Amino acid sequence: MTKKPNVPGEIFLGNKDYSIRMDWKVSGWLFLATLISCFSDIMFPRVVQQWPLGWRVTVAMIPFLLILLWIRNLAQWIHGMDELHRRITVVAILFAVSSTFFFVMLWHRLDVTGFFSAIFPRRSSWDIATVGHAFLLLTFFYFLGHTIFNRRYK
Amino acid sequence: MKNKLRELRASREWSQSDLADKLVVSRQTINAIETEKYDPSLPLAFKVARLFKLPIEDIFEPDKE
Repeated sequence: MTKKPNVPGEIFLGNKDYSIRMDWKVSGWLFLATLISCFSDIMFPRVVQQWPLGWRVTVAMIPFLLILLWIRNLAQWIHGMDELHRRITVVAILFAVSSTFFFVMLWHRLDVTGFFSAIFPRRSSWDIATVGHAFLLLTFFYFLGHTIFNRRYK
Repeated sequence: MKNKLRELRASREWSQSDLADKLVVSRQTINAIETEKYDPSLPLAFKVARLFKLPIEDIFEPDKE
């Protein structure tokens, strides 16, 4: 009995190969990290800020610990792919990471120059350096990169 | 790189999925090799040669320079 290789479609919502079990197995920790990060972003200014420093640091670090667990799952999932999909996925991830980095840096520079506050004066903060934003950007650029690089081999 | 994978597979009446299962790769990988969009790694090329019981150079032929 041969073991089938992992294919990226298993975690692409709406794909014929999509498997909620595999999606959760690969992305579960990231989903949890994003939830906790969003929750702590809401709670920090009101509740958590009153807590002792040790607790505040612990709350802030939990998403990053979960992200490490997600990276481990992701690496195992990629390791279980066949060579073509491994190549496409690694290239798509490199594309996603570099595009996210580029986008966040560009956004930050525009924010510092006052670009966003000049256009929308009512809103004070335009910071996107949070786990939630990074997750959304990474996901968007990963799917974009995967679509571009996968098309070559169809 | 040119290859005879499609002919060899057809001669055994295997589908792309059958061959993919035998080589433990995805069907897309078999299709990409057959349409010469993707050159397999050396270990995969050896696996193909072993499966069809042929020397590797009888299946894969490098492009002429």
